[in-house]
Amino acid sequence: MDLSIVIPVMNEEASVKPLYQAIVQAVDPLNIKYEIILVDDGSTDNTVANATLLSEKDERLKIIKLKRNYGQTIGLYAGFQEAKGKIVVTMDGDLQNDPSDIETMMEKINEGYDIVLGWRHDRKDYLLSRKIPSKIANWLISKVTGVPVKDNGCAIRAYRGEIVKRFPMYSEMHRLMPVITALSGARFAQIKVKHHERKFGKSKYGLSRIYKVLIDMIALKIIFAFFHLPLYGFGIFALISAIISLLIFLVGLYNVFTTPDFSMVTSMGSSILFASLSMFLLFLGIISEMTYKSGDIKIEKLLRFRKLKINQEYNV
Amino acid sequence: MSEEKVLQGVDISVIITASVRQKKSDVEKLYNIYKKSLEEAGVSYEFIYVTDDHSESTLGVLQQLQQRGENIKIVKLTRWFGDASALNIGFEEASGKLILTLPAFQQVHEKEIPEIIRSFKDTDMIIARRIRKKDHIFQQIQAKIFHFLVKLIIGMHYQDLGCRVRLFKREVLEHINLYGDQIRFFPLLANKYGFRVTEKEVEQNQSDALHRVYSIAHYTERIVDLISIFFIIKFTKKPLRFFGFPGFVIFSLGILLLLYQFYQRVFLDIALADKPMVLVSILLIVFGIQLFAIGLVAEIIIFTHSKDSKDYIVEEVIGGKRQEIKKIQTPQVEEEV
Repeated sequence: MDLSIVIPVMNEEASVKPLYQAIVQAVDPLNIKYEIILVDDGSTDNTVANATLLSEKDERLKIIKLKRNYGQTIGLYAGFQEAKGKIVVTMDGDLQNDPSDIETMMEKINEGYDIVLGWRHDRKDYLLSRKIPSKIANWLISKVTGVPVKDNGCAIRAYRGEIVKRFPMYSEMHRLMPVITALSGARFAQIKVKHHERKFGKSKYGLSRIYKVLIDMIALKIIFAFFHLPLYGFGIFALISAIISLLIFLVGLYNVFTTPDFSMVTSMGSSILFASLSMFLLFLGIISEMTYKSGDIKIEKLLRFRKLKINQEYNV
Repeated sequence: MSEEKVLQGVDISVIITASVRQKKSDVEKLYNIYKKSLEEAGVSYEFIYVTDDHSESTLGVLQQLQQRGENIKIVKLTRWFGDASALNIGFEEASGKLILTLPAFQQVHEKEIPEIIRSFKDTDMIIARRIRKKDHIFQQIQAKIFHFLVKLIIGMHYQDLGCRVRLFKREVLEHINLYGDQIRFFPLLANKYGFRVTEKEVEQNQSDALHRVYSIAHYTERIVDLISIFFIIKFTKKPLRFFGFPGFVIFSLGILLLLYQFYQRVFLDIALADKPMVLVSILLIVFGIQLFAIGLVAEIIIFTHSKDSKDYIVEEVIGGKRQEIKKIQTPQVEEEV
C-alpha cells in the first residue's frame, strides 16, 4: 500500500460523497495503491450510512465507526491504527481541504521529508472567531517551542507511515504533532495548500482552545527539554530552591547577630518552606524517573529512530 | 472471553454481591423471588453469588440450594474488597450475554425485573430508577442532594445511582476497569466510554424503604469517591490543564505580593523582618510550584503511558478488503488517578 488517507468525520452526511469523489479524482491519476479510511467520530446523522453505500462499491474505502464522539485526536489515532500505507495523509472531512494537494505532499515525502504540513495561506474562514485565535496560537507555539510551524491547525498533512504509529496521541495532541515530531528530530516541510469555504455543516471548534493548546504545549516543551532525564530536570529546581533556602537562612542568621531585636520567624519560616519545596521536587523527580522507565514512549528512542533513518535512507 | 463460550452460555448471568456488613434479606426467599422473576421473563439464566459471609444463614443456605440442583455458582471471598471488586470477580465466572446485577435485598418490586429485561433494546445498559414513594422523606432529600452534586461536579444526570438493579451487555464490564467502591458510579464510567445508558423507572420494594442514617465516615467516603470519579472522567487525559492553571495563578499571586513588599521595603522604608505577609507570599509561591509540579508529573505519566490507555471503543469496521462486519476488541483500559 502506497498511501492511506485518514479522515475523521463527524456529522458530515452531505460532504461524504463529494469528498470521496474529489479524492478519487485527485489520486486515481497518480497510479498508486491507496486506501481511504473514514473514521466516524460518533456521528448522529446519516454519515455512516452514506459512507457504507460508497464502500460497497469500492473496497478501498474503509469506515471505522467509533462508539461515541471522542474528539479529533482519538479519531486520527484510531485511523492510524488501521492505516497500512507507506505514506499517511490526514485531512478534514468538511471539504475545506483540497485532495489535489496530496500529490505535491507525496512528492515532498519522497524527497526525504518525514512530515509535510499544509499551510492555508489564503484562508477562507471567519476573521474574528477562527483566523485571529489561530494566528495567536500559532505564534505562541512557534515562540515557546522554537519550531516555526506556520499553521498548526491545518488538517491536511502527510506523514511517513511508520511515524504516525509511534506518537503519543492523547488529549488534543494532534494539533501539536508537527511540534512533537520536529522536537524529536523529524524533518518537516510546509507547503501552501488550497482552502475552500465551508459548504455544508457547521464548524466545530471554538475560542477556548488557545488555553488548552498553550498548556499542552508547555507540558510538551518541558517534557522534551528535561525529561529524557526527569530526575535531572526536577533536580535542578530542587537544587535552586535548596540554595534559596540556604541563602535566606544565612541572611536571617546574619541579622540576628547584627540587629538586637530581630525576629527570626519570617526568614526561618521562608527558609523551611523552600527546603521542603526542594525535598518535594526531588521526590517528584524520583517518581517521574520511575514512571518514565516503566513507560513505553521514550524520547531518546524517538531521537535514535530519527538518526538511524537519516543514515540509512537519506544519505544513500 | 472467546466467542464460543459466549454462545454456549445462558442469556443472563445474575450477579449478586453480598458482604457481611451489608444489609441483606433471607437468602432462600430472595433467591426464589429473583428466580421467579427471571422465569417470568422467559430467559435462560444462571446465578452467581459473591460473598464473604461464611455463616450458616448465607453460605450454608446457598450450598443447600446448590445441592438441590439450582443453577448457582458460589464465589467465596476471604475478605471484602468492595462491591466493584466483587462484581469483577463474579463477572469472571459469568457466561451470559447480558449481566444483571441484583442487590442482596429487594430494592425494586419483583414484577419490575421482567419488565427491565424486556425493555432491553437498542441500549448497552439499563439502570433501574426507584420511584421513592416508600422512602422516608429524609432519605429522599439525601438522595436528591447526592445526585445534584453528581450532576454539578460531573455533569451527567442520573437520578438513582444507589440502585443496584442494572442490566448490561458483557462488553461494558470488559471495557471498564472498576475497583473498590466505584460500583455506584458504574453508569457514569460506562457513559464516559461511549456506552448508551438508559434509566428506567421502577416501583420500589417495601423492604428497601427504611429510615437509614449513616455515619459521617460514610458520607465522607461518598464525597471522596465522587472526587476520584470526577478526576477519572475529566482529567486523566489532561492533568496539567487542571493543575497548571491554579498553580500558575497562586504562584503569580505570591510573586506580586512579594514584589509589593519589596517595593515597600526599598522605597517606603518599611521593615520586612517580622511581617507575616512575607511568609504568606512565600507560601503562595511554594504552593503554586507544587501544584504545577504535580500536574507535570501526572502529564509525564500519561505521556509515557499513552499507548496503554486506548480508551476509545471501535464499534465496527465497515468496508475495506474484508467485506464482512468485524467487531474489534480493544484491550482493557487502565486509568491512573
